[in-house]
Amino acid sequence: MNQAFALEQVSAGYQRTPIFRNLQLAVTEGEMVALLGPNGAGKSTLLRVLTGLLTPTAGTIRLFGQDVNKLRAAERARLIAVVPQELKTPMAYTVAELVLMGRTALLNPWRQPSAVDSQVVERAMVYTDVSDLSNRSLDALSGGEKQRAVIAMALAQEPRIIVMDEPTTHLDLNHSLEIMQIIERLNREQGVTVMMTSHDLNMAAEFCQRLILLDQGQVVADGTPEAVLKEEILREVYHCDLRVRKDTPTGALFVAPARRPPLPRPATAMRVHVIAGGGSGGELLRQLALCGYRVTCGVLNQMDSDARAAEALGMVQIMEKPFSPIGPEALSQAKHLATDAAAVILCEVPFGPGNLINLEIAEDALQKGIPVLINDRNLEKRDYTAGQNVVARIRQLIQSGAICWRQGNVALTALARLSGSAPRQSSP
Amino acid sequence: MELRMKRSVIVWWLFLLSPLVLGACVLAGATGISGLDWHTATGRAIFWLRVHRVAAGFVIGAGLSCSGVVLQALLRNPLADPYILGVSSGAGLGAALVIVSGFAVAGLLPVSAFLAAILTLSVVILLARNGGAPSIYGLLLSGVIVSSMCSSMLMLIISLASAEGLHSITWWMLGNLQIVSSSLLMISGTLIILGALGIWGLARNLNALTLGREMAHHLGIRTGVAVTLALALATLTTAASVGLAGLIGFVGLIVPHLMRSLVGPDHRRLVPAAALAGGWFLALCDALARTALAPVEIPVGVITALIGGPFFLILLRRRRKHGWVE
Repeated sequence: MNQAFALEQVSAGYQRTPIFRNLQLAVTEGEMVALLGPNGAGKSTLLRVLTGLLTPTAGTIRLFGQDVNKLRAAERARLIAVVPQELKTPMAYTVAELVLMGRTALLNPWRQPSAVDSQVVERAMVYTDVSDLSNRSLDALSGGEKQRAVIAMALAQEPRIIVMDEPTTHLDLNHSLEIMQIIERLNREQGVTVMMTSHDLNMAAEFCQRLILLDQGQVVADGTPEAVLKEEILREVYHCDLRVRKDTPTGALFVAPARRPPLPRPATAMRVHVIAGGGSGGELLRQLALCGYRVTCGVLNQMDSDARAAEALGMVQIMEKPFSPIGPEALSQAKHLATDAAAVILCEVPFGPGNLINLEIAEDALQKGIPVLINDRNLEKRDYTAGQNVVARIRQLIQSGAICWRQGNVALTALARLSGSAPRQSSP
Repeated sequence: MELRMKRSVIVWWLFLLSPLVLGACVLAGATGISGLDWHTATGRAIFWLRVHRVAAGFVIGAGLSCSGVVLQALLRNPLADPYILGVSSGAGLGAALVIVSGFAVAGLLPVSAFLAAILTLSVVILLARNGGAPSIYGLLLSGVIVSSMCSSMLMLIISLASAEGLHSITWWMLGNLQIVSSSLLMISGTLIILGALGIWGLARNLNALTLGREMAHHLGIRTGVAVTLALALATLTTAASVGLAGLIGFVGLIVPHLMRSLVGPDHRRLVPAAALAGGWFLALCDALARTALAPVEIPVGVITALIGGPFFLILLRRRRKHGWVE
């Protein structure tokens, strides 16, 4: 297959702000490619360079082998057409007038359009289903109709590449789908190479066989939707938690930002006492805070990473001096907090002689009827007490009714159930 | 009838009725529309004088309208007119300088006004250039700045001028179609007609440029060349008009609007329609200026706004579509 366009070691930017450096990219004729990436990744700049709007500071862009910046404007327009996000013009042209503008570079200024020109315009309008609108003025069209008219104008150029900058951003669901289907038909039936940018990862995965993920001016991933839309890649690029799922009937990929559980109202917020240490509580503490629970911690040693996390999250905590065994005073304070809480959570804490006494807090709470949630993962490995039977004591707790959990979301669900079935008010 | 046909027919009617309208303007005299006295030398002289004036009115009206069309398209702004970039103040300053320095008699007035207009617009366009073609905001801003500077210098000259000089300056700034010489009319007229034809030739480029510079680029237009050429042609027609008849306002603003509402915004039809209608309009206004208070002549610039304003307001109000996207 022919190469449609290629960026060879292209660097570009605006006024000393480089957007990308040494970008290397090639697209084969007939491909339908989506360019993805967060805002500011360089998608639009790439399109501007590709269409000759922006001259690169280094490197060459080739359209079918020819340097785009050495092509005559009219020749370039025969190779590559652009569909903008939204066409903005103050003039109320009719659809037919607009579509004919696609032929601007080919027409003699002093002659009427030839029969061939009229035929091409007519065909473009049929293709995008705007023939019936040909005498309507642009300001009387809906967003979807207008975008179809603009695509017809691009088609009237008879280009071999169509570049689209977020062509469906301003459209609602059904019109976006309609536009994408028109573009897909163009690609399949006419063999037009399509290069589009999009913020809609799902739409891109649905229609394009090749996705190029751009971040900070670099190609982060390039390949099939399955290869590019991976949670670990996307998380890095979009800086947020998200999930990629497969739609079982069609096999289509769906990317959804992972929404956090809804926040409870402050008045009903339960207080939870967390027994952690050695970094075992960090992520859970954050999740608890995000869910709106009031959290107390302890006993923790000062400078422990969990103590720092709790401090950063503004939680009340009972502290002991660094690297010191927990003393009776701290213990009684923590017990007091725990027996007054709505629930006590025991994290995946390693127990040693210094903090073994923390286990008493949980035992005490359970005895007094407070629900206790215990992380029972790797119990044996966490016992550093040399014969103090930590495992047996924890098993005993579980037998007496403590709830087991291993992953944060399980604990959160259990908590939510507790607050739903037996709402307990508590004070810190 | 198909919309496109209907709009084309309007342009044809404007074209075909032109001789009739212009003939009526020639016949309009101090005693209303009347036959001409061919038998006396005075009668023939009056006839040729009127032909000159009507011809001048027609080409100047056409030139200003075309120039207005170009500026409204390039600036994508309905308020644009041929004077928006400071031509009026620049040419006014040039004319005032010649008037107060006493060289006006030597026929230097039109030449200096023409050159001052060209100079002003060139300065504005050069100031607005930022590497490539001048941007819309660059043009508007540098236009306003250059215009204000010329205005204040003009004010300075006016405040220092004698009563007689002041009268001449005011008269010139209001615009009038009393033609100094037929050779001047020939030269200016040729420049204006060439400019207007050139603008018509750029019609497709103007269409594309109203979609925005970037879109025009994608459609295969060398936007820098097209914008500069269009501005140069608009400058030429405006400067030639101003040199010939002073500052006649309103034509270049309102005729393009009216024609856009009648024949649509497509410049292939809009340019000839605006040229013909602008020609008619100014020729008719001048006929009125000559005859309404005869033997006193009203400055034609007063008539264009005074009569044209309400007339066009009514027409535009009646037609819902203005050719602009609301």
